[in-house]
Amino acid sequence: MISLPGLNLASQPIEPLNVPTSTATRTQDLSANTEYRFEVSFSRTLTVKLQSGTAEFFGTELAPATTYTFQGTKGAIFTWHGCKLEIGGEVESDYVAEETPMMSCANLHFALENLRDKSVSSGSVEMGPRVLVVGPENSGKTSLIKTMTSYAVKSGRQPMVVNLDPRQGMLSVPGSFSAAAYSSIVDIEEGWGSSPISGPSPIPVKMPLVYHYGLKDPEEGKAFKPLVTRMALAVTSRLEEDNASKQAGFIIDSSGAISQGKNGVYENIEHIVSEFSVNVLITLGSERLYSDLARKFSNQVRDPSESVSVIRLEKSGGCVDRSEEYMKALRHAQIREYFFGKGDETLAPSSQMADFGDLNLFKLVQESDNAEYRPGDYDASSSPIYEKITPSAALQNKLLAITTASPNERQEVIRDSSIRGYIYVADVDEAKKKVKLLSPQPGQTPGNAMVLGSWPEDIPGLVS
Amino acid sequence: MSLPAAEVAADFRDALQDLRLNSRPEISNLTLIAKENTEYAEAISTELENHIRSTRPEWKLPALYVLDSIVKNVGTPYTVYIGRNLYRTFMDAYLVMAQDTRKAMEGLLRTWKMPVPESMDPRPVFPADVTRDIENALTKIRAAVQQQVQRPQHALPPRPPTNVAWRDTSTPPQNLPRYAAPNDPRARPSFPPTTPQYGPPLHTATPPMQYQQPQQQAQPMSSIDLADLKSEVTQLISTTQTMFAHNHADLALRTKLQALLSLKQILDTQTLPPQQLEAVRQQIRALAPPPAPSTPVYPPQHTLPTHFQPNLPSNFPPVTAPPNSAPPNVAQLLAGFRPPMQQTPQPASTPNPPAFNLVDLLKRVSSPAQSSSIPAPAPFQLPFQGFPPPNSTPMPIPQAAAPAPSSTPTASLATLLAQFNKPAGAPPMSQPMPMQSTPVPQFPPQPNTAPPTLGSAEWLLKALGSVPGATPAISTPIASQQMARQSSAPFNVMDQIELTTVSMKKPRLHLISRLYEAKPNICATCGRRFESTSEGKEKKARHMDWHFKVKDPDAAKRGVHRSWYMPEKEWIEYKEVDETSPNHTSNDSNNSTSSGAKPKKQAKDRYVSVPQDVALQQAPCPICQEKFDTVWSVEANDFVWMDALSVGGKVYHATCFEEYSKGAGIAMPGTPDSVLGKRRAEDAASVNGEGKKVRAF
Ligand SMILES: [Zn+2]
Ligand SMILES: [Zn+2]
Repeated sequence: MISLPGLNLASQPIEPLNVPTSTATRTQDLSANTEYRFEVSFSRTLTVKLQSGTAEFFGTELAPATTYTFQGTKGAIFTWHGCKLEIGGEVESDYVAEETPMMSCANLHFALENLRDKSVSSGSVEMGPRVLVVGPENSGKTSLIKTMTSYAVKSGRQPMVVNLDPRQGMLSVPGSFSAAAYSSIVDIEEGWGSSPISGPSPIPVKMPLVYHYGLKDPEEGKAFKPLVTRMALAVTSRLEEDNASKQAGFIIDSSGAISQGKNGVYENIEHIVSEFSVNVLITLGSERLYSDLARKFSNQVRDPSESVSVIRLEKSGGCVDRSEEYMKALRHAQIREYFFGKGDETLAPSSQMADFGDLNLFKLVQESDNAEYRPGDYDASSSPIYEKITPSAALQNKLLAITTASPNERQEVIRDSSIRGYIYVADVDEAKKKVKLLSPQPGQTPGNAMVLGSWPEDIPGLVS
Repeated sequence: MSLPAAEVAADFRDALQDLRLNSRPEISNLTLIAKENTEYAEAISTELENHIRSTRPEWKLPALYVLDSIVKNVGTPYTVYIGRNLYRTFMDAYLVMAQDTRKAMEGLLRTWKMPVPESMDPRPVFPADVTRDIENALTKIRAAVQQQVQRPQHALPPRPPTNVAWRDTSTPPQNLPRYAAPNDPRARPSFPPTTPQYGPPLHTATPPMQYQQPQQQAQPMSSIDLADLKSEVTQLISTTQTMFAHNHADLALRTKLQALLSLKQILDTQTLPPQQLEAVRQQIRALAPPPAPSTPVYPPQHTLPTHFQPNLPSNFPPVTAPPNSAPPNVAQLLAGFRPPMQQTPQPASTPNPPAFNLVDLLKRVSSPAQSSSIPAPAPFQLPFQGFPPPNSTPMPIPQAAAPAPSSTPTASLATLLAQFNKPAGAPPMSQPMPMQSTPVPQFPPQPNTAPPTLGSAEWLLKALGSVPGATPAISTPIASQQMARQSSAPFNVMDQIELTTVSMKKPRLHLISRLYEAKPNICATCGRRFESTSEGKEKKARHMDWHFKVKDPDAAKRGVHRSWYMPEKEWIEYKEVDETSPNHTSNDSNNSTSSGAKPKKQAKDRYVSVPQDVALQQAPCPICQEKFDTVWSVEANDFVWMDALSVGGKVYHATCFEEYSKGAGIAMPGTPDSVLGKRRAEDAASVNGEGKKVRAF
């Protein structure tokens, strides 16, 4: 079932009152093939340390001597061999699950490994597996992809991960689409890890290619398909130059929205499959989605080498509906992390003033249902993509995407350009025509085209 | 999934019939239906064509936008099906359109001559010959209008003069429109003979059009009458549609339906002289069960309540109007129509008589002037009997005689309407049009994969010279070797895990050891595992070095901030660097002994961190004026400029500066050959030849 954010009455309040404060730790024994599931709020922390045995968090193995700290996380620690965990801090809820989908995950991983071996033995002529994971919201897509990625890295591969879900960023903020190769371990505490920072990082940084989408749902915007196409071009081009990535292939994360379909038609899924030449399509949960897609792709008369394997994996019992409140907190945490870092690795963003005239702002034109069709439009949508705006108080608390495009470029070029990063509008002084910005980097505000979307929403109080 | 084509077509039709405004969501939805049902593209295309033909003029444009959206967003096979009849579809609509709508249609036509926006496919939306025919016809219409500018009651407002000389548009017989023969073996069996029959070439020289002197002896039919007639036609259409829905293969029905739809369109949009209306009425009555309330026939004295006066040519030449002259008023042509037999008696040996109906008539209005230099073979030279019928529908026996020639327009229309009663007879014999000759059965749905053109980043296209899995890439055995499985156990047959839902559920716990026991040596800091081989041990050692290095407290003291993301082009050319690979251990020059081939400390190995200052970032090398290559350095943990040297606040290419300094006799600035001073990228390239170079350009 599709979860409705904010309507999830069964879920616990984000901030339970009267949480007993405890500094004591306890020991949790896990038998083989079970997992410890927990939910921890953004204002509390959970610590986990592996005392004996083996354990993994979405595929990444817990180091024996390290204490991991979780905050604002709903996750699970799984063991293939059994383990003893030392657990501290406070959780909203936790329990041990006997039934997990991990065997399926492992099977999938080893099946993908077969394809990667084939690519290797073809001398990188063949490309490794191109995987797309689809399913409703909260069906465990990202968790599965993390596990697949971790296993691939563990197997000595260098898989590429592509995030096309604007609700959650990967190595960037929500509202962005990104792609990165993972040659080193996937971080346990930081989600997908960190994009480059100017200093050393205790976990190797990942190098994402980032585009700005700026809307909540793929179905919402006409920029979705062109950006998918653009991303596919870039990823495919990269893989042609990079044998390690080509052999490992890639895994695409998607928004739950594209799995809803319209009358059994999944336009955006098909677009992604087609643009990325996806050959393994994983559906999570929904049987309807699986049968629709299996029929769709098995019916296609294709070259056998281009056939799409459609597979359904069970949704993990550990998948919990995440309330809109939680998702919002998660988004804000991601944005905060982008500027300020996380945990011990604090970053120092730069506060700067800019004149109105310094900013070349392009605002995404929101489409309305009574928009008219105009001949020549791509995907029956109407131009323009953006309207040029001058700064105003409405900009306050918003994120601006710094594109790599000049403001004089055509709008399609601006839309398709990857971005350098985001700046945050801390304050707007309309009288003085000045804007106070928070930039990740010191130095002058770039004169590139900046794009303002409606997603993520305002983030008040990022700079206090 | 396998809805019958009729069902899909009906769905599509239903959705189409709701489309009365230019509504993007509705058009998108219709496009989606078309996209999802490419296997029924022919049925859908036919629905769309019929709808455009039959719907009210003011609703045609939205329907044309549907056509536009489908051909641009879905492409083949729709472009093929729709392209076959595009001339008619377009011109029929154009002729009845209001002037502002015509402008919109002309705009559409312009886009059809160009590639699909954002597509890499450089071909136009429709083949040039398809759009050229329309273009030519429009030009001629403009010319015709130009000639008639003086005529106040003309149906078309004046348009600017064009350069097309009217005389140049005369149509030699061999340039008569050619229609696909349903029995053409190359054509699809089910191809609808929308143009079932066509007469022989009629004239060897086309006299100039004469539109003068409205002929107005007869009084027009009253509008009430007209409304009745229209409703009768509508009813007949509906009946015929129902019949046709049950028998798609019936070509005669189809022809009849199309003729009726065309007739309705004419009635809806044109004003016919009363004689013709009366003739039409009688034919319709003959075709349809008589309506319960009998409509009194008004005497001819009745006048139209409108001020409109139909233009009837009085001196219309006793030949058909040149098909290419496309006059703006169908009524004129209707009135001027003469059966060709009258003019050009054909040999009696003609096995299939020319049969005329409204469809043909409309063609005369709207057929393209084929500019092809290939003369079409005279239709009658082809023996009809030599061709098998197009499908299982028994072909009617060709009539032995042509319809009786008539000297009056009414009579000729009657002749024409009489064809409604007959099945579509002999197939046309002329050459198929190019589009129609394309065999289209089982046209594989061409996936909508054409990526958009990329604006200023055309280089990316070049980079995409291949598709996944299909391209012979330059294989680099070393790289493959390096990426080969590190677990020594090769997969056995049992391990060939099928990619199926069922297979994913099978327990295969024995495989898990590949994730654990195969690499027994774990890093206590981060959990990364290494093999117990000597190579694994080396890797782990370098890995531990790296942990140590990044914990350097001094490095943490400077203000660390988030870096900008890598630009697209650099990202594409970037190669991940594994901290355990030998080429970027923390250096001390000699540890990578295998790199002996590389001369050390070359100028091109020097780098500087990319300046924070934006002005400096943009500044080229002062010597050669070229920009610097930005690469990510794992060791520096920052973006750096390779082959770069900072001297006196400016950054130069190290090689440029070296050359300059030699010439100027000054010493190169010293190189801080520190921890970060080593060119890992260069080492990588020379150590294993694998090309782990991190260069951006
Ligand atoms: Zn480690
Ligand atoms: Zn230079």
